[in-house]
Amino acid sequence: MYQQIAMYTTVFFVFLLALAFASVYGESKRSGEYSTIQEKGYKIRKFYFLGLIAIMAFATVMTLGRLPYDSNQAEAEGLNEGIVVKVTGIQYAWEMSEETFKAGDKVQFDVTASDVTHGFGLYNENMELVAQTQAMPGYTNTVYYTFKEPGTYQILCLEYCSAGHHVMVKEIVVEPEGGASDE
Amino acid sequence: MNEAIHPLARKTVVWHLAVTSLVLILMMIFGVIMLMNQGEMISITPQWFYKIMTAHGTGMVGIAALGGTAILWYFLSKYVKLNPAILIVNFVLFLTGVSMVLIAIFVFDFSDGWTFLYPLPAQSAKMYGAAGAVFFLSGMLILGIGFLLLYMYLAARLTAVYGGLGKALGWDIIFRGKKGYGPPAAVVATAMVIITNSTALLAGATVLAASLVNIINPAITIDPLLAKHFTYAFGHIFANCTIYMAVIAVYEVLSEYTKRPWKANKVFLIAWNCSTLFTLMIYTHHLLMDFAVPKWLLIIGQVFSYANGLPVMVVTAYGALMIVYRSRMKWDFASSLFFLSMFGWVAGAIPAIIDATIVVNHVMHNTKWVPGHFHTYMGMGVVAMIIGFMYYFNKTEGNQEHRGIDTFTIALYFVFFMGLVGSFLYAGGISAPRRWSEHLPQWVLSDQVGAVSGIFIVLAAIIFTARFFSGLRCVGSQVPYQKKSAAG
Ligand code: HEM
Ligand SMILES: [Cu+2]
Repeated sequence: MYQQIAMYTTVFFVFLLALAFASVYGESKRSGEYSTIQEKGYKIRKFYFLGLIAIMAFATVMTLGRLPYDSNQAEAEGLNEGIVVKVTGIQYAWEMSEETFKAGDKVQFDVTASDVTHGFGLYNENMELVAQTQAMPGYTNTVYYTFKEPGTYQILCLEYCSAGHHVMVKEIVVEPEGGASDE
Repeated sequence: MNEAIHPLARKTVVWHLAVTSLVLILMMIFGVIMLMNQGEMISITPQWFYKIMTAHGTGMVGIAALGGTAILWYFLSKYVKLNPAILIVNFVLFLTGVSMVLIAIFVFDFSDGWTFLYPLPAQSAKMYGAAGAVFFLSGMLILGIGFLLLYMYLAARLTAVYGGLGKALGWDIIFRGKKGYGPPAAVVATAMVIITNSTALLAGATVLAASLVNIINPAITIDPLLAKHFTYAFGHIFANCTIYMAVIAVYEVLSEYTKRPWKANKVFLIAWNCSTLFTLMIYTHHLLMDFAVPKWLLIIGQVFSYANGLPVMVVTAYGALMIVYRSRMKWDFASSLFFLSMFGWVAGAIPAIIDATIVVNHVMHNTKWVPGHFHTYMGMGVVAMIIGFMYYFNKTEGNQEHRGIDTFTIALYFVFFMGLVGSFLYAGGISAPRRWSEHLPQWVLSDQVGAVSGIFIVLAAIIFTARFFSGLRCVGSQVPYQKKSAAG
């Protein structure tokens, strides 16, 4: 979802920006008194500035309540019965204390690394990145994810860790709720 | 106040630009090779891919800094007498550092990326031998020391002429209510870059030295998270500063073309002071996915990354639009490139700011979105400014004139650069990770679009460079020396 928002927002604002530059280019062929242009320009700028501040404040308010860092939100949703999984990155593999899950499982990944820094990137069946955290030696970063849909998920390394970085992939299976199928 | 640049410095500036333009072409070719490999149009080994990636990243950031330095020196010389020896020393140390980096990569197979994230180089040293890491890290250290010396010298000069960096940033106007305008834009920008980039270089030198010590004696370690703080305090600020140096040319040249003053009024000075402060603070947006970092620090990373967009959007880019508006400015290679470069800068800031939002970063950090945004403001911002300056230099110091082919090349460059960054951003939007030598089938199309765009960008860069070198022949041929006005 955030990816789509990011893409559309970027296209929208870059389009506006291009419009502004194009219109100034068009106007550059005419001539005008600079002091009057400045006077007007500074007036418009006030509103432009306030507009930008408003957009940024809105984005801040909308997003700072949903930070992925703490379990508050997860707990509010009843994560207390969550599954705790220990994840360790090592050139070039992921070691996990648990590899199969059920749809509906609320999982707490405790992520670390034993050699260099790696990146724990959780991808869903459509290969959309749905959650990530860094896997750094000496630190444990905890990231929460609730598997709503069954399917094959993958963990991709998202921090460059030398020549085998791109083979550092692990599949995890999320089985449908209410019992495993034996396919 | 209008000093002529020292002839030796002028020559050194030419050397800077020549190296910048040639390395730019080579590095762009490296970029195309990477995309062709990801797009399955050619096949190279992962080792080679990552070596090329390391060279491309280091080389591009390096020449952006080199070109930016040339611009800074050239225009600052108008207001402050500068000793060309310092510029030459910087250039020599730069070349020494770069040679060591190249030896590390292509002789000793160093491939740990231009961000050399500890403890990766140490780990590689254990596995493949220490020579690669040692050459790379010491090469970077030498390069950094070269820049640090330059900034220390500039700080001394600004202090001598303006009475301190604070005054150069207009503090007496902002805080003491002094009337009138601050120092010229070139001086304000230089002061900002001295403060931020010296900090960056000190952080960089610390982590480089620590990494080297750790390789030589593995018993001495550094905390990986602390090392990452230092690494990004260095990498982020250093890469950012390339544009704050290069933008000096935009102020100087657009005001010359439009025959309108671009003075450092109070708002301008406040904006540059904010840029100084925010640029120092916001590197933490590289650590948003390090959950071990205190939360407040990461929230600062988000909020001030937003704020850091304001000075450029509200003051610098807006100022560029205002100065061009109804100015009957002459559109030629230099003015067009500078105008477009402001578009490139702001256009790059937009996806950057979005990605600095923690919830977005959670699903886009280290995807292709990231190279997407920085290629926008580096390629269409900094590099466009540097190329614009090359033309401006040849026009005013020599007698190069705008030709039809220049219009064509500028269009070619910008259209296909939009294609390239569009393909990167799109790939990031569909979650393609950055720095992966092999790509899944669903990502390949975007790589191919990027590769084809890249080929045309290389073509444009070759034409720019050829035009630059052909224009150089007439530089300095007028006796006695006289710099022409760009506006005529
Ligand atoms: C023809 C133009 C260019 C092409 C085709 C190109 C291509 C690429 C590619 C394919 C990557 C690796 C992407 C990945 O992570 O998968 C990359 C990374 C990078 N590029 Fe470019 N690039 C171009 C121009 C530039 C310019 C003009 C700059 C800066 C002045 C630049 C700076 C960088 C940097 C700093 C990296 C990061 C390297 C790393 O991740 O270690 N590139 N580029
Ligand atoms: Cu890894």
